[in-house]
Amino acid sequence: MTYLFIMLYAVTLIYFALSERVKKFVWLLVIQGIILFAIVFFSLNEIELFDFIFILAETILVKSIIVPWFINKVRKRNNLKRTQEVSVPVFYSIIVVVISLVVSFLISNHLNSSHIHTRYFTVSFASVLFGIYFIIIHKNIFSHVVGYLIIENGIFLLSLAVGSEMPMMVNLAILLDVLMGVLVLGVFINRIGDTFESTRIDQLSRLKD
Amino acid sequence: MVSLVLILISSLFFVGIIVKVKAKIAARKMPPILQPVYDVIRLFKKGAVYSLTTSVIFKIAPLIYFASALVATLFIPIGSFGAFLSFEGDFVFFAYLMGMGKFMMIVAAMDTGSGFEGMGANRESFYSMLVEPAFFILMGSVALFTNNISFHGLFLNFNVDTNLSYIIGIASIYVLVFITMVENSRMPVDDPKTHLELTMVHEVMVLDNRGFDLALIHVASWLKFSIFGALISNFIIQSSWAVHWQIAAFFGIQVAFSFAVGMLEAFRARNKMEKNPQWILMLSAISVVIFLTVLIITQKIILN
Amino acid sequence: MNIVLFKIAILLTFVLFLLSRKYQYYFGLALHLAIITISSIWVFNVLALSSTLTLPFIPFLGNTLSIKIDPLSAFFMLVINFTVLTGIIYAKGYLQPYCNKKSKAEMAWHFFNFLWLHISMLLVVIVRDGIAFLMIWEIMSLSSFFLVIFETEKKETIKIGINYLIQMHVGIVFLMIAFIVAYVQTNAEFSFDGLSVYFASHNPFWLFILFFVGFGIKAGFIPLHSWLPHAHPAAPSHVSGVMSGVMIKMGIYGIMRVLLNIPDDLFNIGLFVLIVSLATGLIGISLAIVQKDSKKILAYSSIENIGIIGIGIGLGVIGIAQNLPALAVLGFGGGILHILNHSLFKSLLFYSVGSVYKQTHTRNIEQLGGLIKKMPKTAMFFLLGALAISGLPPFNGFISEFLIYSGIFKSLHSASLYTDIVLMCSFVGLAIIGGLAVFCFTKMFSVMFLGTARSSKVEHAAEVNTPMLIPDFLIGFLIIIIGFIPVIFMRLISQIVVLFSADLSTFQQIIPTLNHISLSSGIFIIIFGLLWLLRAWQQKQQIVKQNATWGCGYSGANAALHQYTATSYADNFVQLTSKIVHVKKDFKDFDEAEIFPQNREFKVRTSDVFEDNLITRPGNKILAWLEKIAVFQTGKIQHYLLYALLFLALIFLLTFFNLI
Repeated sequence: MTYLFIMLYAVTLIYFALSERVKKFVWLLVIQGIILFAIVFFSLNEIELFDFIFILAETILVKSIIVPWFINKVRKRNNLKRTQEVSVPVFYSIIVVVISLVVSFLISNHLNSSHIHTRYFTVSFASVLFGIYFIIIHKNIFSHVVGYLIIENGIFLLSLAVGSEMPMMVNLAILLDVLMGVLVLGVFINRIGDTFESTRIDQLSRLKD
Repeated sequence: MVSLVLILISSLFFVGIIVKVKAKIAARKMPPILQPVYDVIRLFKKGAVYSLTTSVIFKIAPLIYFASALVATLFIPIGSFGAFLSFEGDFVFFAYLMGMGKFMMIVAAMDTGSGFEGMGANRESFYSMLVEPAFFILMGSVALFTNNISFHGLFLNFNVDTNLSYIIGIASIYVLVFITMVENSRMPVDDPKTHLELTMVHEVMVLDNRGFDLALIHVASWLKFSIFGALISNFIIQSSWAVHWQIAAFFGIQVAFSFAVGMLEAFRARNKMEKNPQWILMLSAISVVIFLTVLIITQKIILN
Repeated sequence: MNIVLFKIAILLTFVLFLLSRKYQYYFGLALHLAIITISSIWVFNVLALSSTLTLPFIPFLGNTLSIKIDPLSAFFMLVINFTVLTGIIYAKGYLQPYCNKKSKAEMAWHFFNFLWLHISMLLVVIVRDGIAFLMIWEIMSLSSFFLVIFETEKKETIKIGINYLIQMHVGIVFLMIAFIVAYVQTNAEFSFDGLSVYFASHNPFWLFILFFVGFGIKAGFIPLHSWLPHAHPAAPSHVSGVMSGVMIKMGIYGIMRVLLNIPDDLFNIGLFVLIVSLATGLIGISLAIVQKDSKKILAYSSIENIGIIGIGIGLGVIGIAQNLPALAVLGFGGGILHILNHSLFKSLLFYSVGSVYKQTHTRNIEQLGGLIKKMPKTAMFFLLGALAISGLPPFNGFISEFLIYSGIFKSLHSASLYTDIVLMCSFVGLAIIGGLAVFCFTKMFSVMFLGTARSSKVEHAAEVNTPMLIPDFLIGFLIIIIGFIPVIFMRLISQIVVLFSADLSTFQQIIPTLNHISLSSGIFIIIFGLLWLLRAWQQKQQIVKQNATWGCGYSGANAALHQYTATSYADNFVQLTSKIVHVKKDFKDFDEAEIFPQNREFKVRTSDVFEDNLITRPGNKILAWLEKIAVFQTGKIQHYLLYALLFLALIFLLTFFNLI
């Protein structure tokens, strides 16, 4: 069953490359959170109640509800344009995401290690690669936040891959990371909105000394 | 023979259901299910007006288009009923035969010397080029999964036994639905109802066809819908079921597919014309994910 | 006995210079027929017995040079003979207007070179000795050079010819280096057969690359292709047809001959050939789509088809390396059949386009249109060629592509993971190439022949006379036969494939499939015929009128201005691939304040990205650097004497200090 959701996660990555509207980014993040919950749910051998509630909180609550709601609020406050422009045509981004998926699948086949659960490694690596590519091609800081969240999802899956059980510390660290990132960037965006009246990053380089 | 008859029967009411669903959702009065059939019969009784600019190409193109759709239908099996024609690698012949039909329709549209039809012809050739890889990767994945390379063998051995084969089935159906929409130039590639010459694909290519030719073109597009519906039903119908269940499931799936197409057309907006290439490429990307899934199932990619 | 006749025929070519213009053509035709007959006797001997024929030819450099004809050579000889025959038949009508303008010597020289092109191509595939091979290769390049620059009155033609000659010589340098390396390292025979000694003991990859570059320049693989799109349009059409149809296949012959000598370690070689061929196919047809010169489109399309042949060969080599018999047999089979198919439909397309050029005096397709009403037979032959080259059933292009697809799909299951990824990329590549070919040829056919005339050049066009259509009939007949009944050619193909991979059971399995394809094609044609009769019956009882095309109520201006142009047809493709196809649009946009717009001009230019970056830019940089050195050439004799004095002083000083 986990394979089913891993493949669905790969499809959401493809849709991230395809879509240009900001609202769709938010929806895709919600869907990714739900898929992550399903992956974790079907891969745990035994579930203790406390672990289960924590995972539920982290994936559904944080990734699917709180963070997207927060990002949505930021989007409305800054009156973002409906679509975000990219510096590489979407056509080529789709090719890039397909190549990164194939490459990460081939790498996880090559790894062949008993210490890593390579089935999660596949899409986690592709997610990290694609998140970095996403940040590179988008010119708006809002999209950078979205890309950062994609990378975080990938690292969440990576923690599943390397852990034989769910180490609490790793999860707490990731959770804190995400919250800090989103909060800081949200506050940052609000400040930028007040100062610059635009969220394009080429204006940001004016800040450098 | 049985599969041919079934596909022909289901093609008669396919477009009728789509129109009915769209009318109901738009709160309009629903036309009868067989209305498209009545329209085509009326067309068969009419004469024709040929444009002075056109040549013999314009006269033979609809015939070749219809002949290619009809011969393509001969290759599709349904469940345990064999196809009329079947050989190894026939899905390649199937795809290229439909390509032959498209080639003739494109040059016939350019034959009229009208800018509108040229636009439609140009877009048709472009989009069909982009959707070919999706179909081939899909068929290649299923061929790899079932170790068979004819339609008949593919679907006979397509057993959904493991969980992962469910995703192959579901994703293949998803991709096939959208391939159908691209092949017939429906939503979200093009809205057949707008009749804005600047945005149409198939509808604008047949502006100058009349009478017998136009009737053939309409029937060919019904056949195409029905063919892809039959391909979709093959992913669901197992050859181990009883015969009457297979036939009932086939008609049920065709009705459900036409219903779904109607809903899609009613609720979904058309893509911007310039965004169509990337949308069509997305179908190939999903096919590649299906290919990777098949590689996992056949144990070529070893994951633990 | 046959050898003597062959040598006499070769010597008789010199007689051409003594004849008057009226008899030159017929004498040349007779010699061609003689050579074809003699070589065909050898070919049938070899193919009937599936053996190798060895004949002593002439004494050469002390030893007797012998010619060896094995099934691979025999196949190429068949292709060469047929294409040259159609070329020389076509040339009679095509050269008619030139007969009076050119002098007796020029025409004799042209026919002489055509004969020598034929002879040298035949000798290339049957000579094995290294030095003789290189000499024959050189003769082939020289004779084709003289044929290309036939229209010497145009300045660009000579420039293009010299560009072609230089690139051919670069290729021959690579071949020489490759042969010399093999000879020096092993001290075996300086010939193709001696290569097997080298390949048995060394890593074959690097020497293969040297051979590949040398032969690839002739074949037209990317990025070595830049001579093709210039030479083929500049040459007269019968020469273009022969060059595109068979001469570039000599490169493929060379690569296959080298491959026959490599015993193992083949995976990297196959992968390399496959990747280069996929790039060649995709980039070739992409560049073809944006051209406006009809012959340039066909030249780039030849590059694409060389890519398809290379894909077949590359997959075949991978099949041998990975022990996948289906892939090996069907990959090679498809590639080899495509060699024959491409020579057929490409020469047909060139002859049709040549007829159009003869009647309208323009190669720019944006000035054509509506030609199907004036030249119906040429148009239908062009349509046949366009359908065949797009790989559509029921014609022959489909059969060769089908063989390659079959090979891929049959071996998906038993291949390893990386091979599966490679196979997936190759069938996706083939599918895209096929789609792009449909795009390109629908554009070319519909802009040239359909719609209304776009300029006045079409007005005086009329159908060409029947002798120019005879080659079209011959080729069309073969296209239809191979498409409808491919099994009769399978025995021929299997004799060549067996040289590469001995397991032929897959070939037996493909025969029923090909019969089914014939059956399906037959059903297709029968249904088409029935529909035609049905419609004729239905329309007899109805009114059938003729009227103008529906124009949405807009009837102003010229009807020709409403229709789609070639540039607009290719436009959405150009937007997608702007990095590869360098299309520059020159126009001034309309100002917002410009209420009554002035006249505007719109220019579209395309350039070849590989030629720009590999040849033009480095060439310009070297020229700029050399111009600085040209300062020394002042033109005054006093300065030159000063240089001589300085040189004397330098030698004196160096000798004084014991340095030289």
